[in-house]
Amino acid sequence: MTKSIARLPGYIFLTIFAIFSLFPLYFMAVSATNTSKDVLASRLIPGGNLINNFKALTAAQDLGSALWYSALYAVGITVLALIICSIAGYGFEIFHSKGKDFLMSILLLAMMIPFAAIMIPLFQMFAKFSMVNSAWAVILPAISTPFLIMLFRQSSRNFPHEIIEAARIDGLGELSIFTRIYMPTMKATYAAAAVITFMTAWNNFLWPKVILIKNEYQTMPMLVSNLSAGYVTDFGVLMLAVLIASLPAMIVFLALQRSFAEGMTGAIK
Amino acid sequence: MPRTKQSNSDLDTDSTKSSIGKARSRRSSLSKGNFTGLGVAQKRSLTGWAFLIPAALLIAIMNFYPMFQAFFLSMKTGKGANLNYAEPLWYNYKRLLDDEIFMMTMRNTFIYLIVQVPIMLFLALILANLLNNKHLRFKAFWRTAIFLPCAVSLVSYSLVFRTLFSTEGFVNDMLRGIGIIDDPINWLGQGSTARIVIIIGLLWRWTGYNMIFYLAALQNIEYSSLEAAKIDGASSTQTFFYVTLPQLKPMILLTAILSTNGTLQLFDESWNLTRGGPAYESMSMSHYLYEVSFQKNPNFGYAAAISYVILILVAILALTQMKVGDKRD
Amino acid sequence: MKPSKKALAIALPVLLALGACGTGDGGGGETSGTGGGGTGGGEASNELTVWTWDPAFNIYAMQEAEKVYQKDHPDFKLNIVETPWDDLQTKLTTLAQSQSYDELPDIFLMQNNAYQKNVANYPELFTDITGSGINFADFPESVTAYSTVDGKNYGVPFDAGTAIGAYRTDLLEEAGLKIDDFTDIDYAKFIELGKQIKDKTGKPLLSGQAGSSDTIMMMLQSAGASLFDDAGKPTITNNDALLKSIDTYKQMVDAGIFLEVNSWDEYVATIVNGDVAGTINGVWIAGTIQTAKDQSGKWNITNLPKLDGVANATNYSANGGSSWGVSSNANVELAQDFLKSTFAGSKELYDTILPASGAVANWIPAGSSDVYKQPQEFFGGQPVFEKVVEFGTKVPKNNTGAYYYEGRDAVSAAITQIIQGADPAGALEEAQKNVEFAMN
Repeated sequence: MTKSIARLPGYIFLTIFAIFSLFPLYFMAVSATNTSKDVLASRLIPGGNLINNFKALTAAQDLGSALWYSALYAVGITVLALIICSIAGYGFEIFHSKGKDFLMSILLLAMMIPFAAIMIPLFQMFAKFSMVNSAWAVILPAISTPFLIMLFRQSSRNFPHEIIEAARIDGLGELSIFTRIYMPTMKATYAAAAVITFMTAWNNFLWPKVILIKNEYQTMPMLVSNLSAGYVTDFGVLMLAVLIASLPAMIVFLALQRSFAEGMTGAIK
Repeated sequence: MPRTKQSNSDLDTDSTKSSIGKARSRRSSLSKGNFTGLGVAQKRSLTGWAFLIPAALLIAIMNFYPMFQAFFLSMKTGKGANLNYAEPLWYNYKRLLDDEIFMMTMRNTFIYLIVQVPIMLFLALILANLLNNKHLRFKAFWRTAIFLPCAVSLVSYSLVFRTLFSTEGFVNDMLRGIGIIDDPINWLGQGSTARIVIIIGLLWRWTGYNMIFYLAALQNIEYSSLEAAKIDGASSTQTFFYVTLPQLKPMILLTAILSTNGTLQLFDESWNLTRGGPAYESMSMSHYLYEVSFQKNPNFGYAAAISYVILILVAILALTQMKVGDKRD
Repeated sequence: MKPSKKALAIALPVLLALGACGTGDGGGGETSGTGGGGTGGGEASNELTVWTWDPAFNIYAMQEAEKVYQKDHPDFKLNIVETPWDDLQTKLTTLAQSQSYDELPDIFLMQNNAYQKNVANYPELFTDITGSGINFADFPESVTAYSTVDGKNYGVPFDAGTAIGAYRTDLLEEAGLKIDDFTDIDYAKFIELGKQIKDKTGKPLLSGQAGSSDTIMMMLQSAGASLFDDAGKPTITNNDALLKSIDTYKQMVDAGIFLEVNSWDEYVATIVNGDVAGTINGVWIAGTIQTAKDQSGKWNITNLPKLDGVANATNYSANGGSSWGVSSNANVELAQDFLKSTFAGSKELYDTILPASGAVANWIPAGSSDVYKQPQEFFGGQPVFEKVVEFGTKVPKNNTGAYYYEGRDAVSAAITQIIQGADPAGALEEAQKNVEFAMN
């Protein structure tokens, strides 16, 4: 009894923060069912215009294609990024040396420059290799990020060296140690990294917009941007598109969240 | 990057530990015929480098090559695509000092950094710690609710926030309802309140994001150490500060660097929420860079100079944070 | 063990899909790379690629133009790529800056206000179409002026940005007024009427985005004035028309007859939710007004108030509008002939797109068609479009200047300060300084 009273402030805090977080989402979801006029009047109760909005949306834009390409790019980026960056993060921490530290700090510089500044040379490069309009042009620049490498490196700090040593004694190769011991143990980190990478890739806008010149390869953020480009914007349709665009990232989160947050079960058994 | 003596001794223990199984591992490597003639330490070091190469190579091609180009660009000036080296070479950098709008965007960006980042990281830590409590109920609900904002696309988020903060919007109605203000506040119409809206927007969108990192890191903390603290009679606050926090340090460092980096490169919120207004009073440096490149008469040399100023500022702050936070203990 | 297998199971199909996609797309990229030079997008000789935005408006117009042209050229095909204006500008800049002209389409739509800037910075993007046989005299001079640089034409005007004053007749009536009371008046009278309406209905006459200079820019152009002189130098200080415009604007805000809101969506909301008695903007705002179906029949349009005491002041102005440009990577002959036979030569086209999309022509011969004379039910039976074409011919020409956006934003900043009580002369001097800084 006293314990639950002691936890009361925690619950209150969580409630306030949850309301703060959910209210705008609620507004978004409700707006998807309302007419443009109601959205602009900040109507907070669901309306009956969802089907009309959906019809208008699919009539104006190729929703299926945009979802497919967004998914393709985002999954491709996430899978490749997780493999390449986790191996690198592991390499930096487990085979720690001064030279690698130096390399890490150099690599970190890569994320400190605004993307708009390197966009044009990058475009030039892809144009030179006739890779404009290709999926690889979207994916390649997003795979290897200092941020992910650092995430895996920092997470590896708590990874016990004794386990690696034991595995080495058992005659396991270095790559096998990584895939058989490290990867399963760091499930939580992989899950978090996957969620974050997928989300970033899914919402990526500027670069795909510039490098994908044809309509067919349009992604969800581009579709949303198209909807608000005209003289007349239908805000109900826009909110529905935005809701649909937000769902996949939410679903990925819901699917993976178990892995990193089921309470302290003790990651290393 | 700074390294303490501690890390060297780490290495030492490594090698002593590994020497125990030296014979066996040497044998196994010999039997596979790999790295013949190399010592274990050398072999390990090579393996380590091999692990880094794909990632490092990609970064070199996709980031460093364009960054070099941008650096040369930052010393050029001219019209459109016809750029020539400026006289003097640092002309664009000097020009920045006289640019009142750039100075204002720099000031705005630092206000966001100093006010928003500490609040956000602190909130994220508290939330992660609360959610990591075994006895908490509806855990999945809280976690989902707090994370979901960062899955939402920026267009909707800015639309929603603009609606909520409009003069006749929900926020003003609420504040008037509870009697805090008498007249509606024109949130986006004044510099100071426009910046507050951006800060609230950032908190809304990114607190859950940082919480994820802490939750993942808490997973890697050995439960036994917390149990031990409890048995020793430590209160939950004490456990948090003396047991949890130190173990979270690598992750706190990471999020601090990331948030600093993200805030100094802040673009989306400035662009979508306030359009930088009124009168540049909420515009971020990156937004200004984008304007100079793509909205106004393109001046890519100048834009590149702005990007290097941002790079240098982030690098200095990140290095300082590492120096303070990256002691291995 | 398990996760790595799982990861592999996910990774493999994805990589395969990407591989397939990569080669497929790469092939496409190559075609456009090598086949460029003559034809944007690398397509067949009877096909044109067009970059434009807005399916309900200019994309629709392009599709109809395709049908019109296909009557005489059955093999002709258009490949329309939907690209919002901001992104289109970013793409054009990226292509020009990285000198990848091969990726340009044949035709692109460009905001009138951005024309001077783009031609000045990247002439390599455009084809000079002065000698294309298109009769540019069929368009109002004020409109072709946007896309004309040094006497050369770089664009075929598409939609008119001709400004209208649109008012709610039901609210005017409550204050004992009619639409005629707002026709051919000056701002002194306008403000007087506005106060009358505010008293009677409690509603402001106009609304607009705080920190936007749209209203000021329309006032300026109505007197043929701008922020730049003929040599392109900024004239933000010592500009009587500008001072008068800002003064008028401030009077309206102070009197509560111009409601300043925060954003474009809020501005739209004030109109469709019936919070204001009218609005002044480019005729394209009619599309937005008409989304408020419950207000059908309650709107009328007329010309604008004119600035008092300013030389060459008129009741006509413009805001926005766009023109078709032919790129340097185009199949020039085909692109020119297509534009000449459609947007600069087909009454049929304009008669089709007007009722369906509300795209009002700049092409003067289109205005004489019966379709333009049709009374519009939503606007109380007024022949709105005929009026607008007539207004369009009377809009004074002004000099947008290559630094239009710099000038506009600097003035916007100044207005914000002036509305908050700063001294106009000082604020404008600051604006002048900022524009001069951007120009050197």
